[in-house]
Amino acid sequence: MPTAKDLRQQIASLVREYYGVQFAARPFTPGVDLTHYAGRVFDSEELCALVDASLDFFLTANRYAERFETEFADYLGVSEALLVNSGSSANLVAVATLTSPKLGDRRLQPGDEVITVAAGFPTTVAPIVQHQLVPVFVDVNLGDYTVIAERLTRAIGPRTRAIVMAHTLGVPFDLDAVMSLAKAHDLWVIEDNCDALGSRYRGRPTGTFGHLATFSFYPAHHITMGEGGAVATNDPALARIARSFRDWGRDCYCAGGENNTCGTRFSQQFGTLPAGFDHKYVYSHVGYNLKVTDMQAAIGCAQLEKLDGFVAARRANFEFLSRAFRPYEDRLLLPHATPYAEPSWFGFAITVREDAGFSRADLVKFLEANRIETRPLFAGNLLRHPAFEGIPHRVAGDLANTDRITNDTFFIGVYPGLDRARLDHVADAFSRFMTHRGVAA
Amino acid sequence: MTQKLACVVERVVAHGDRVYTAVLRPDRRLPRFRAGQFLHLAIDAYDPSGFWPESRVFSIASAPTDRDRVRITYAVHGPFTTRMESAVVEGGSVWIKLPYGDFVVEEATDVALVAGGTGITAFSAFLEGLLPSMSQKVVLAYGARSPQLLVYRHLIEECRARVPGLQVVYFVEHDTGALPDAVPGRVCLEAVWPKLRAPLETNFYIAGPPAMIDTIRGDLQHRGIAAEMIHVDAWE
Repeated sequence: MPTAKDLRQQIASLVREYYGVQFAARPFTPGVDLTHYAGRVFDSEELCALVDASLDFFLTANRYAERFETEFADYLGVSEALLVNSGSSANLVAVATLTSPKLGDRRLQPGDEVITVAAGFPTTVAPIVQHQLVPVFVDVNLGDYTVIAERLTRAIGPRTRAIVMAHTLGVPFDLDAVMSLAKAHDLWVIEDNCDALGSRYRGRPTGTFGHLATFSFYPAHHITMGEGGAVATNDPALARIARSFRDWGRDCYCAGGENNTCGTRFSQQFGTLPAGFDHKYVYSHVGYNLKVTDMQAAIGCAQLEKLDGFVAARRANFEFLSRAFRPYEDRLLLPHATPYAEPSWFGFAITVREDAGFSRADLVKFLEANRIETRPLFAGNLLRHPAFEGIPHRVAGDLANTDRITNDTFFIGVYPGLDRARLDHVADAFSRFMTHRGVAA
Repeated sequence: MTQKLACVVERVVAHGDRVYTAVLRPDRRLPRFRAGQFLHLAIDAYDPSGFWPESRVFSIASAPTDRDRVRITYAVHGPFTTRMESAVVEGGSVWIKLPYGDFVVEEATDVALVAGGTGITAFSAFLEGLLPSMSQKVVLAYGARSPQLLVYRHLIEECRARVPGLQVVYFVEHDTGALPDAVPGRVCLEAVWPKLRAPLETNFYIAGPPAMIDTIRGDLQHRGIAAEMIHVDAWE
């Protein structure tokens, strides 16, 4: 009679065999097969981890979630990391955390202002709006697509209390300027690091500078667990609040299936509740349930081991495309990093110059016709979207570059799934487009 | 951020009167923790793919800088610690999960630490981490039934020799002749009060038996100490 351990080993062996059959590399046919802008990159280890977690049938976060949180925090060099079910949820939890009454006078209150940018993904800004805070938009640079640091000081108002910004497409924003401003004005800082896992600024990982940082593990991102995200911090008090918002708003911090972790489950007094009311069901925040399953975390554990390789591949692919497109720089503004930054590139952003002789639409249509995926720089100017048109907000200066991005910028992939054949196809498509437009290589 | 770790019991010291110190060696490095935090210890076998077994709470007595070993001290009081007495033996295996809690001593104000019995373990890591140059004044009141049960006295004396800002008052109930500089009887505030620079601006931390906690807390309130300056490490 085989043991459960024996059977697990047999199943793992079969899963590896299945991977070889189902997901074996297939030859790439240019112009027929899609060249994705992003995608999951995995091997049999992710499949085995997923099945292993499913055989536990614990279902909710357990050993793999604990392992991922530990190893992820170690990777970043922070004391606390907590898994959530998406990068957007991570942003929601991070902003909600700063509204906690447990922060006393430092908590964010409705009407307080939060400095951010409009050129990005909506769920960087959405939690600001959802918490009745007022976003103050600052324009961004073309080329690195991060905040124009010189304009930050002018964005400060009497109610400015926080800065919530993304390292757009993997490019660290000017952290010297942002952190110095935050220190001078006692502002909270949330780094939206969803697109920048593996990036560094002055040699230190992004996501470790602010009070809180957020991460996404959606399949398009640097590592994936399908749906997944994380919040990281070096502040245990903020971590406990964030965990509360993630876990229904409860005061208790027992993991799923655990009881009396605090050792005072039936002996505390909360508000007007009866003395000794079960701590497991005491709520100190109006929270959510944004936890992951252990199956997701298991995939994340296997992905995390590959992260350094993924980052290296993204950088190599970025360099390849930079070299390939250099002859077109008079028509295309190519991406570059901010000073002191080592991006872990999310994508390769291109802005079509105003005098290029063709439009973004012309180029994008050509690429898509050649089965090369493109994406706009997310929302472009968020304020021009129906959901955000009427929100209370302030603009510091103008958003001229943000509007340029809305009209003229797009990005293509650099993800590790792009092999040399696909990269050659991309370079060749650009060459053919430019030749057709009369641009000499 | 909490972790569950399998540990080998490396050493057990019996202090007498059914009080023990156990040094545990985890199968991987301990997570980062802060002085004053606690762990859960389980004796029964644990399969990480399943549910955590019955466990009890113990202060982490070792310093946060040592992440290869963890030390706890316990007194036998109930069924679980009675089981520990026979199950937590050298070479044996236990599981721990940690760190938890926020009984972390304030470093910006003067503090008074009041410890009874094994309650000293809530402060031992903090005391070990004190720097000679600290500007904070730390007064420790540490009591036990007998001098031999002042099990952290050696560590405290090392700290006292190193840190001029640390003042200590010992209390013992029996065999008082063995420790002449100790105050006879249970831990109380009378002998501690003159050593405080500004009692109303001092944070008080209390760890020990429930009866001692209640007595000291009541006395502090009677002396006009604000509730937010009184911190209690109490478990069920």
